[in-house]
Amino acid sequence: MRVRAIGLALTVAALAAPFAAAAHHSFAVFFDETRQIRIEGTVASFRFTNPHATIVLNVRGEDGRAQEWRVETNAPVVLQRRGWTRDSLKAGDRVVIDGWPSRDGRNYMRLRSATGADGRAIGAAPFSTNDD
Amino acid sequence: MIKVALSAAALVLAMPVAAQDAVPDLSGFWGPDFVTDTSIRMPDLLAKLPADAVLIEDAGAAEFPRGEFGGLVLTPDAAAHAETWNAEQDMAIDRVCLPPSIVYGVQGPFPFEVHQTPTLIVFKYEYFDQVRLIHMDGRAVPENVPLSKVGYSVGHWEGEDLVIETSRIAASTITNNGLDHTDGIVMVERYRKSEDGTRLHATQWFRDRAVLETDGARYLTWTARPGQYVYPYECDPSFALEYAQVDGE
Repeated sequence: MRVRAIGLALTVAALAAPFAAAAHHSFAVFFDETRQIRIEGTVASFRFTNPHATIVLNVRGEDGRAQEWRVETNAPVVLQRRGWTRDSLKAGDRVVIDGWPSRDGRNYMRLRSATGADGRAIGAAPFSTNDD
Repeated sequence: MIKVALSAAALVLAMPVAAQDAVPDLSGFWGPDFVTDTSIRMPDLLAKLPADAVLIEDAGAAEFPRGEFGGLVLTPDAAAHAETWNAEQDMAIDRVCLPPSIVYGVQGPFPFEVHQTPTLIVFKYEYFDQVRLIHMDGRAVPENVPLSKVGYSVGHWEGEDLVIETSRIAASTITNNGLDHTDGIVMVERYRKSEDGTRLHATQWFRDRAVLETDGARYLTWTARPGQYVYPYECDPSFALEYAQVDGE
C-alpha cells in the first residue's frame, strides 16, 4: 500500500495552525495532526464546492489490491487564493497527495499538498504556510 | 447677515463629514493572518477585557481537540453535553452546511469586508456568506428581534475602538468541539486598527451562564489586503454524500 508515515515529530501547532478551523467540522477532532501520510493514485473525481473540495483517488495498495481514498481539502474559497481552480484535477490524472490521516483509520485524509504526474505542485503553495 | 447664515449652513453641512472623519475608517478587506506571536497584541486592548474572562487560544485556525476548552469552566450540563457530543453528526447532509453562529465564526480563518458609514457598519464574511449589520445610530435592541446566527449588533466608538455588543444569537457552537452556547449568550467585541493601518486587532468577550461558569474571550487579528474581496461561499451539502462513501473500518 502506498500509504506511509513521513513524519511524526512535527509539532501540533505547526501542522494544525493553518487548517484547523477552515471548516464547519473540526480539523482537530477528525484528523491526526501529529502524523502525515502520502498516497499516490489516479483521480476518479474532483468536486470543487464549499465547504470542502473532495478528491476521490484510486490507489493501488502494496498488496496489489485497489483502494478508494477520499481527500478533503480546505474550502475552495481558500484553494482559489492558492491558485487552485475546478480544473486543477480531472478524472484520469495521476497525482501524489500529502496530508493528515483520518483519526478513525478509514481511507480519508486532509490535503496538505498535491503533486501532478509532471512533478509540479498543484496550486501556489502547500497548506502549511501561515496563510488562509 | 447672509454671510453668517451661509457660514452656519456650511458648518451644519460639514458636521457629518467631520464626525465621520473623527473616527477610524475600518473599511476594506481583512484577511486572517494566523499570527501566533502574542507580542503583536495591543496590551491596552487586552487590558480592556474584564479581568476574570478566560482568554482562549483557538483563534485563527487552531482548534481544540475533544474535551479541551482552553480554560473555560463548563456547567455540569454543558460538560455532559460535550462529553456525549457526536462529531459525526456535523458531517450529515442536514448539518454540513449549517452555519455556525458569529461567536465561533468570527475567529475562523476566513476573510471579511468592512463597509462603513456613520450610522451603519456592515461586516461581510466569506465564511458561510454571513453578513452582520452593526447599528451605529444609538438605537437599543428592538423587542422581539428574531434569533439568528449573526444576532443583533449595536455599536459605538470609544476613541479609536469600535465596540460592538451583540445579542439574540441563535444557539450554536463556541469551540466546535461539543461546547455549544444557548440563545442567551451575549458578546462584546472591540476592534482597533494598527497605527500603520495594515492590521486589525480585536478582542471578543462572551458570557452564557447556561453553559459557562466563566466568561470567555479571544484575541483576533487580520491584515489589510487591498484590492481583494470576499468570494461567494455557497455551501454545497453534497459534501456530506462524499463523506458517507468513505471506505474503511
